[in-house]
Amino acid sequence: MSTEAVIQTRNLTKIYRDFWGRKKVRALNSLNLEVYKGEVFGLLGPNGSGKTTTLKLLLGLLFPTDGEVTILGRSASDVTKNERIGYLPEESYLYRFLNAEETLDFYGRLFNMSAATRRERSRKLIEQVGLKGARRRRLQEYSKGMTRRIGLAQALINEPELILLDEPTSGLDPLGSRDMKDLIIKLKEEGRTVVMCSHLLADVQDVCDRIAILDGGELKEQGEVQKLLKVQGVTQIKTSQLSEAVIKEVEALLARHGAKVLEVDHPTTNLEDLFIKIVRESAERPGQRYVPPSSGNKPAA
Amino acid sequence: MLDFSPQPYDWAAGFQHWLAIMVVAGVAAFVSALFISILALGFAGPYHVLVHLKGAVADFVGTSPRRCLAIAKLTFLEALRRKTLLVFVVFAVLFLFAGWFLSDVTDDAQLQVKNYVSFVLRTISWLILPVVLLLSCWGLPEDIRLRSLHTVVTKPVRRHEIVLGRILGFSAIGALVLGAMSLVGYFWINRQLPQSMKSQLTARVPIYGSISFLNNEGSQVEKGINVGDENMFRSFIEGNTKSRAIWDFANVDVSRFDQDRLVLESTLSSFRTYKGNIEKQLMCQYTLVNPKTNLRVPLAPFEVNEFRRNVYDVLAENRNVLQDPDGKTVDLIKDLVQDGALRVEVACLSSAQFLGMANPDLFIRLPDQPFASTYFKSIFNIGLMMVMVVVLGVVAGCFLKGPVATMLVAFVVIVGKLAHGFVVSLVTGDVQYNPNIRMQGRGMFEALYRIPTHLTPGVELQDSFFSRLIHVLDNIELNGLYVIHFLFPNFGLFDTTQYSANTFDVPWSAALLPSIATTLAYILPWILIGYFSLRIRELEAK
Repeated sequence: MSTEAVIQTRNLTKIYRDFWGRKKVRALNSLNLEVYKGEVFGLLGPNGSGKTTTLKLLLGLLFPTDGEVTILGRSASDVTKNERIGYLPEESYLYRFLNAEETLDFYGRLFNMSAATRRERSRKLIEQVGLKGARRRRLQEYSKGMTRRIGLAQALINEPELILLDEPTSGLDPLGSRDMKDLIIKLKEEGRTVVMCSHLLADVQDVCDRIAILDGGELKEQGEVQKLLKVQGVTQIKTSQLSEAVIKEVEALLARHGAKVLEVDHPTTNLEDLFIKIVRESAERPGQRYVPPSSGNKPAA
Repeated sequence: MLDFSPQPYDWAAGFQHWLAIMVVAGVAAFVSALFISILALGFAGPYHVLVHLKGAVADFVGTSPRRCLAIAKLTFLEALRRKTLLVFVVFAVLFLFAGWFLSDVTDDAQLQVKNYVSFVLRTISWLILPVVLLLSCWGLPEDIRLRSLHTVVTKPVRRHEIVLGRILGFSAIGALVLGAMSLVGYFWINRQLPQSMKSQLTARVPIYGSISFLNNEGSQVEKGINVGDENMFRSFIEGNTKSRAIWDFANVDVSRFDQDRLVLESTLSSFRTYKGNIEKQLMCQYTLVNPKTNLRVPLAPFEVNEFRRNVYDVLAENRNVLQDPDGKTVDLIKDLVQDGALRVEVACLSSAQFLGMANPDLFIRLPDQPFASTYFKSIFNIGLMMVMVVVLGVVAGCFLKGPVATMLVAFVVIVGKLAHGFVVSLVTGDVQYNPNIRMQGRGMFEALYRIPTHLTPGVELQDSFFSRLIHVLDNIELNGLYVIHFLFPNFGLFDTTQYSANTFDVPWSAALLPSIATTLAYILPWILIGYFSLRIRELEAK
């Protein structure tokens, strides 16, 4: 992974004040953060922890009360940095009287793109986010999932180096959520940097290389996901299905080596995988009920 | 007839005035910004102000027409899809039924034309202004409230491009509506007017002179006789005396005459008394004078057509022969107007009767222009006023919420249209209810002193430290108000309905140029205010 920082914050602090200038809430307190080029970085935290405030400070939508932000080597207030950034807001705050094609054409113009480039990128992105059949419908007729997809498309219209995603999977069904995560991984493979903030921990775990956990506006933890999640002092072995006799033999062997068996179980899939499997099979075989696979491999004797 | 004197616009003086105000306002804004920044951020404040100024220069240098047009197109589509064009329904309903009330109310063709043209121009004006006012005042605040603007400002869009794009978009939709309404209005006037009156639909092109008076003894006076009007615009000359009204015309271009024919047109008021023959029309006589050679040519007298236009073709009315008092034949062009200067003396020939006039009541009438010329010039001026409202609305929306911005802009437009003169007289201390009495107590602080002490405005304050302090405070307050009043444009300038309704061509120098200059003068500072408001504003502030 690159060590070139695309985002750096130093003692970043944001205090919201009321009309009279009195302190209302300290949304962010001395945040020091670095996001490296080519990684997927997750900002985690409960509601009101300062995730979205951090993103908005990075984008220049809010001004810091104290501290500094550097993004792609420039100040957050420098509008030219936006040429290399894509942003998907928490809600899709798009113009609902436009259709998908008009939306992407509009945002393409804001990047000073030629008409041919705008057409080509719009077509490609609409296909990529699965809205080809609805490209002429106004956004006010879109479902929440479709609105998120077109929101993502507008964030990618300029082929950005850095993509900021605020709750990217919120409002999406499991299939949409999976597509979104696949896309984030694909963006990473293309060498782009992704910063996402979310409170859906499973989503973050699936795609992020590094995370920062915020609470009450303060940074509580920061590091690589794999390292942070690694459970110390426990070894897990996965095998094909074993018979009871073999299990007892393995337990005896482990006991001889002084190891204690904590749990022997048949693993279960997660609900997301099951749901996606059912929906995909249903699409392949319409009208037929889903039949779960048989108990699997024959247990070893 | 016009009830005001069209004045040529001195654009050079106007520009100097504008530049002086811009410099003073710019310096005042900079100093205020420095002061506020020091209060808010301490000694780092001025640095932030300079960073913003540097950023502003970079922003303006990096302006992209494509981005401006993208936002303009978005604004246009937004207005279109929010069913702005429904204003046409109101327009159509008004025009469907207007004919019932406006047709055949008079046999006077001039009055009928005036009714129709006034109705159409005023209707267009009062329908289009509220529409663009609401659209422009609510556009940006709604964008900010719904956070649609977040997806725009997180692209490489400069804040002034948002302001410019919005202005262009709203102006475009306004121009579309205005264009359609004006065409419908034009054809409606042509269709409603009876065939016999259609010849009145024209655009008269006048050359105005400057008026002066001689009294009954033949001495120069500033004004003629006041016959009892409280608000005297027209003054009178007495019949069969040495009293004269004299118009001096300069820069008369004979090449613009129709076949070397000089046509004088006048609309003269009569004030008849029983000392003379009150039942008889007044007689009037013009005398043409070459002011350089003092050659005088008395013309054939004519009967004054009261409340009507008196069109006097000099050659036709004098059987193509002009003679000086000695009977010597005079050539109209060579001997009288060749040098571009002409004087016309007007005398009333009816004893003990009075003829009233003001500067615009007599003019040299050049060949007419088509009615469409004056009509669409008035529409153009309505368009300029619409652009002013749009700019003001968009700029107000940069720092205010929709309802507040609407109220502010409506206030500025109403004051600017109906009470600009009063505001100017207030801040310059020239409020005079009676021109013969200089009003005292013109400042707020003096008024605050006079009211509880029951001191009437006619009584001077006694000279003391206290009265001098009051005067100093009043001067500060009035000078502050004087600067602020420049924020309120004179929207009355844009109303050229009087010209078109009276079938005058809308003059370039007296009507079009001031409107264009005012529009340009206000647009730049307003856009700057909008830009800085958006730039220093936290769009996501809670």
